[in-house]
Amino acid sequence: MKAFQYATAHSTDSARELVAGNGLYLAGGNDLFGLLKEYLVGADLLVNIKSLPGLNKVEHGKTFWTIGSLVTVAEIEDHAEIKKVFPGLHDAAAEIASQQIRNVATVGGNLAQHSRCWYFRHRDTQCLKKHGDLCYARDGENRYHSLFTGNSCISPVVSSLATTFAALDATAIVLRDGQETRMSMAELYHGAWENPLAHNSLDKGDLILRVEIPTTRTRSAYLQVSDKHAFDWALVSCAAAAAVVDGKLKSPRVALGSISPVPHQVEAANSFLDGKVLDDATATQAADLILKDAKPLEHNAYKVPMAHAIIRRTLLKLKGDA
Amino acid sequence: MSSWPAEPKYISHSTARVDAPAKLTGSARYSSDIQEKGWLYGMILRSKWPSAKVTAVNLDKARAIPGIKAVVVAREAEFNVRYYGEEIAAVAGTSKQACLDALRAIEVKAEVRHEFVVNETEALKADSPRVWDNAPNAPTPHVHENGNVDTAFPGCAAVIEGFYTTAVQVHNPMETHGNTVSWTDEGVTAWASTQGITSVRDGLAGALQLDHSKVRVITDFMGGGFGAKFGPGVEGVLAAKLSKAAGAPVRLMLTRFDEALAVGNRPSSFQKIKIGASADGLLQAFDAENYGTAGIGGGADAGGGGGGADIPMPYIYKVPNTRVKQSAVAINAGSARAFRAPGHPPASYGMESAMDDLAAKLAMDPLELRLKNDPSEIRQREYKLGAEKFGWKQKYQKPGSSPGVVKTGIGCAGAAWGGSRGDRNTQGDATINPDGSIEFRLGVQDLGTGTKTVIAVVAAEMLGLKPEQITVRVGDTNFPYGPGSGGSTTCPSVSPTVFDICTKALEQLQTQSGMADVRGENWFAACKKLGVSPLVVHGKWQPGLSTDHACGVQFAEVEVDTETGLVTVKKILGVHDCGLIINQITLESQINGGIISGMGYALYEERVMDDLSGVVLNPNFETYKLPGIADVPDIEIVLINMPERGVIGIGEPATVATAGAIANAVFNAIGVRVSSLPITPAKILAALGKVPPPVHA
Repeated sequence: MKAFQYATAHSTDSARELVAGNGLYLAGGNDLFGLLKEYLVGADLLVNIKSLPGLNKVEHGKTFWTIGSLVTVAEIEDHAEIKKVFPGLHDAAAEIASQQIRNVATVGGNLAQHSRCWYFRHRDTQCLKKHGDLCYARDGENRYHSLFTGNSCISPVVSSLATTFAALDATAIVLRDGQETRMSMAELYHGAWENPLAHNSLDKGDLILRVEIPTTRTRSAYLQVSDKHAFDWALVSCAAAAAVVDGKLKSPRVALGSISPVPHQVEAANSFLDGKVLDDATATQAADLILKDAKPLEHNAYKVPMAHAIIRRTLLKLKGDA
Repeated sequence: MSSWPAEPKYISHSTARVDAPAKLTGSARYSSDIQEKGWLYGMILRSKWPSAKVTAVNLDKARAIPGIKAVVVAREAEFNVRYYGEEIAAVAGTSKQACLDALRAIEVKAEVRHEFVVNETEALKADSPRVWDNAPNAPTPHVHENGNVDTAFPGCAAVIEGFYTTAVQVHNPMETHGNTVSWTDEGVTAWASTQGITSVRDGLAGALQLDHSKVRVITDFMGGGFGAKFGPGVEGVLAAKLSKAAGAPVRLMLTRFDEALAVGNRPSSFQKIKIGASADGLLQAFDAENYGTAGIGGGADAGGGGGGADIPMPYIYKVPNTRVKQSAVAINAGSARAFRAPGHPPASYGMESAMDDLAAKLAMDPLELRLKNDPSEIRQREYKLGAEKFGWKQKYQKPGSSPGVVKTGIGCAGAAWGGSRGDRNTQGDATINPDGSIEFRLGVQDLGTGTKTVIAVVAAEMLGLKPEQITVRVGDTNFPYGPGSGGSTTCPSVSPTVFDICTKALEQLQTQSGMADVRGENWFAACKKLGVSPLVVHGKWQPGLSTDHACGVQFAEVEVDTETGLVTVKKILGVHDCGLIINQITLESQINGGIISGMGYALYEERVMDDLSGVVLNPNFETYKLPGIADVPDIEIVLINMPERGVIGIGEPATVATAGAIANAVFNAIGVRVSSLPITPAKILAALGKVPPPVHA
């Protein structure tokens, strides 16, 4: 990697100032060090943000919970209350990578991580996402790629926390130009939908401070399918959340990961499910709606039936015991 | 004729690995841990192009990088590179980062060829770009015929045709390839991560034009090779040249990225099989065409690289009428090398899949079909014993008849491995000290398979001592000659050798001590009579104590989620033989490893190359998927001890049958064949007809 300076920020103001030149924020470093080592990003200064006060807390209020961006994935996984209140979030965290990685990976880093597309990550392919002329995956090895995209790049979002936050209708609070900006998960990733060079909507210097999760959806679930049984990326992931009143879904939301540059959400499916009693038939219809406009490529069409199956299963998990 | 003790105390029992404490505490120093005084890091610059003519390599800027002590080219003058990752130059420096910077500072001028091919099926086509200018990518297939298949098929009651394919598998030992090399006026010392200290010595001596006696190779501990670590490799020779140029020891261990490119792999296979049987299930005719790629090795005039991509067909079965056509196709990729049971896992997968497809056509239990056709008495025994343990009769149901979304299935497959009785030139010595301590020195190496423990167990048995009283030293070319560890031949090479050393030691100790019995409790008294000089005895391999040809069968039970395509292996039962068992616990460990590796071959492992750029897309463990502990099922091992056969190796037969057994269990579960390894969720869903066609924008 290129040589860089290192500094620790003790306030968000100083973090912003430090990063303003050619700097990058450093928290868990799982993604950043990989990018630096492969010369996929470069920086003159790494700004350690692990000492920023107040960002490593999980706080619960009556109407929403706040999870600081420096909370680790392992802390989410191990949090007994989160497991009760947001079981989908717990399950998503528990599936991420390995224990060693979860121990240092942060919520902010998980949300801001870059594409895992093997053309983007390869040191010697100059793909669209790296200012090249073409998306190699489109007519190439696209087994892990998107069924949906708004641009020419088909690398999908792989943050399973983002998928789950989307289903829970969580909001990311981002420090931008000194102001706190509120972004839904759709907004947080919209940039990647439009722009092949983008991994999300964050601008240079933007810092995710925390995520707010409303408590209105008392049920949540998460499932993923991978080639392997552990420590493997999701081929498709699905999160669903809703309240259940008199046996009927209220404000249901479904989101999928690894099939689009953004957490894939279809409002028509959410409104279809609203007020419905969950059974196989409703779950199936919702899955049909969610996948209706999928554009499978040569090697990723399997994701359509796979996604269909886990949408149904995730929704049926919402029924729970009660 | 010599013979093994009839009622052994240690042989055929379990002795914990003698180097387990050193490995568990981290005190064991592997080749990649070596830090000689003043050592430098070494690194290799590789081709960024799958095909190019390199016209000039300018090292000046690299030399100017602070910390860089030497820069050398891999080849002089103009040369062609024929795959992404071929070696161009190497650097040595005081830090990893200095080396990385230097690699980026080397200027390579090349005429890049945009015509190349990395897909073996494309490479077969007449208009495909050629890997070698003067040779077609695929030489004319060689044909082996017995009887007459054309007249035999019409008389068959059942005939099936299948196309079974396997992916290129990368060895990926946990310790990458590499060496620390120190080249001084006295000669060259290499600490190598190798399966063959002698072949590394000879290879280095040849490449560096030194006397063999001037090169010493040491391998105290190494982290696996699986067939890909015999010679010094380009990386070993470059490390030596860097060491000479820098005047310092150079440690050049490849990166995981490098491992995927240039240091071997198992060739792919594309097996078109037609097989027919009479109504009673006896095989009558077998007609097969197979091609696979061994990278650039396949089409070279001289055979090149790691040889061809042929597999034994129709594998373990005897069929009266056969026709087998095979060819190896060259592509712009790194050469194949021997890989644990070369040719056998793909052969077993293809043939055993065809057997189950045939059994389905005959409406016959596939185990019964095997018992009717397998010519090996040992495997017949193993199948029957295994079926009993596994509960085959209770569990077997017709293919596809398992109810529900998550279906269960079982399957089995057989293995064969010729191997050898051992290298008859294997030698060793023992120094017996007056205090009764004893040290064995053999010029073999322990790949992690337990060779040191085998030596200790045999010696303890013969001398009436305990294994922990035996000091074992291996992995040094200064010791008496030992063979490379390949072909499952190390155990049958060293066991008779240690037997001979011990026999001679006992004889000479009897003579020198004047005691009639010097074994066991008399050992120390006898040694004391040696006075001040130790007794040094030399021994060599003796016939009659080892043999060849192991068998082995495996049974698999799987669950297949027919909605997500996920395959979960629930159970593997391996029934194995390797003649006289020397040490059961390390033997079982070998078989566990073989089965887990076979699982990787069946379900996860595949080198993926990109047609457009020619690069390997998965040069890492993120997307080159290996089985992890969560994927590993309950593994049960049943051993048949056959002392009357003498010692046979187990490394290779242990990994052969796993993929075939798993593939057949998947077929049994879902009732349709996934005829391509690895069996991924995507392929399961495709086989079930659930995958929609792609949408072309």
